[in-house]
Amino acid sequence: MSGPFNRRDQAKASTRFPDGLDQTYHDSAKGGVAATGTKDRHVGQSRAGGRATQRGRRALAPLTVGWRHRELILAVLRRELADRFSGSALGWVWAVVGPLITLAIYTMTFTKAMQLPAASAHGSTSSYALSTFVGLIVFGLFAELCCRAPLLMHEHAWFLKNSIFPSETLAWTAVFRALSYAGISVVVLLVFELALYGLPPLSILLLPFIVVPLVLFLLGMVWFLAAIGAFTRDISYLMITFVPLLMFVTPVFYRVTDLPDALRVLAYANPLGTAIEIARAAMLDGVLPPTLACLGFLVSSLAVCRGGYAVFERYKGILVDVI
Amino acid sequence: MSSDAAIRCRGLGKAYQLYARRTDQVKQMLFGSFHRFYLEYWVLRDIDLEVRRGESVGIIGRNGAGKTTLLRLLCGISQPTCGELNVAGRVAPILALGAAFDWEMTGRQNVLISSAVLGLRRSEILRRMPSIAEFAAIGPFIDQPVRLYSAGMRSRLAFAICAHAETDILIVDEALAVGDAAFGRKSLAFMESFRRRGTLIVVTHDMEQIRTLCDRVIWVDDGGIRASGGVAEVLRLYNDATEAEEDDGIRFRFDAEAHAALSQAAANRRHTKWRSG
Repeated sequence: MSGPFNRRDQAKASTRFPDGLDQTYHDSAKGGVAATGTKDRHVGQSRAGGRATQRGRRALAPLTVGWRHRELILAVLRRELADRFSGSALGWVWAVVGPLITLAIYTMTFTKAMQLPAASAHGSTSSYALSTFVGLIVFGLFAELCCRAPLLMHEHAWFLKNSIFPSETLAWTAVFRALSYAGISVVVLLVFELALYGLPPLSILLLPFIVVPLVLFLLGMVWFLAAIGAFTRDISYLMITFVPLLMFVTPVFYRVTDLPDALRVLAYANPLGTAIEIARAAMLDGVLPPTLACLGFLVSSLAVCRGGYAVFERYKGILVDVI
Repeated sequence: MSSDAAIRCRGLGKAYQLYARRTDQVKQMLFGSFHRFYLEYWVLRDIDLEVRRGESVGIIGRNGAGKTTLLRLLCGISQPTCGELNVAGRVAPILALGAAFDWEMTGRQNVLISSAVLGLRRSEILRRMPSIAEFAAIGPFIDQPVRLYSAGMRSRLAFAICAHAETDILIVDEALAVGDAAFGRKSLAFMESFRRRGTLIVVTHDMEQIRTLCDRVIWVDDGGIRASGGVAEVLRLYNDATEAEEDDGIRFRFDAEAHAALSQAAANRRHTKWRSG
């Protein structure tokens, strides 16, 4: 039995170091050594060859943080998904119907009412619809997180203020929650593709390689916005204005190939646009995505992830005092 | 760090940032390295403390002395402004009981999340769930949303969760204040049994509790340690002092000049270059 009065194995208890429970300032050093204030951080290099491993550990911090707290992230995620799907009467139905309605309206507008040149260039309405759907899924993921991230810390203020909740895990939970929603849309997309064109191309197996950098990119973005958003609510208002505009800059309703050459480079400079194009290539066209774009996407995702985490880490200490 | 120290801090201080305007917070964030846009309010300063593994320490002091802030620093909920803090081992805080619950979730769902925060695996939590429910003794309410709970029920559940966390250091802030006598006895019995296997830190105004639970007492006054030592000795000093002092608002006064001087002193210790606003 594991009642609270039972005496535990003393030897086991004394050798355990606090890895399950993060105290934030334990991060920088091993096993609960050296925790200092925000200004005078003297992280000791106690062991030989510490510098290289330490740098490596710091670079990987965004990932190790997620792995270390996986149980907590899963617990919160499970709760949030339950809330989203069983909290409303129709639960899963909304997740399927919502994107379908959006897609139907956009497709109708751009192929029938407005006659977008990009739409007619692709021949059939259905292929344009599928290509737009891919764009909407990826952009929807981004848009949801953009609007939610600045409020993320406020949303969980009572947790952060009253328990030893590691605030950096909230980004992971938010990204995975959005991802599971997008996953439903991907299933719907595949069902449509199967019905219209038969089996999807083999290159769809590359999907995980697109999702991983996308997740990193989104994580970095959420960390950054959550840190800034904790201090000021303005960011969330800014996002509400900014996100719909970004939708037209990103190749959601058109493809990068529809753009003149000069603008094409710009479109690829937008990591989101690249992600959409790569996803289209893999899921619909059955061709390998352009290598350079993939590489650029991977590098920028890693940079955004690390940078966002660095910003969050910097402000984490005073976050609790300001929200 | 000596191997038997569970908690050790040197020169620990905590200042809250007081902003005159909301926009100053943003300015501080953007241009903080050039100019300071806030006043520092020092809640704690120059705390030197060492707690050995297995020791049980009581913390006493009047309201607003900085006891809770000290506990929050030790738990890692908030970060120290200056000084050094070493904590070796897992910490389970019992502070603001039940305040970390999500009111829309059921008791059981809250147990899952709160225990995960304390570092338990899902399988372990599920195994301990019956025992947690039994300890909390709130009957069928464990499957109801927490918003239907009374304050006493919330603290019962929160205490039960912490009691089932596998922890090395237990930090308790006025935990028995809301529970009824029967639950108080149960919690006290738990703390006494925990004392034999882990490090215990208790904040309370109940001197009897201090006598039963603690080996040593620390008296926190006006953001610093006023006395520390054997239970009988410190309690006597504390009782003499509280009898002499009146209950007025002087302790809550904010002396901007004095705090600015403290900030300056801390800045000098930090050896960083910054102009004071």
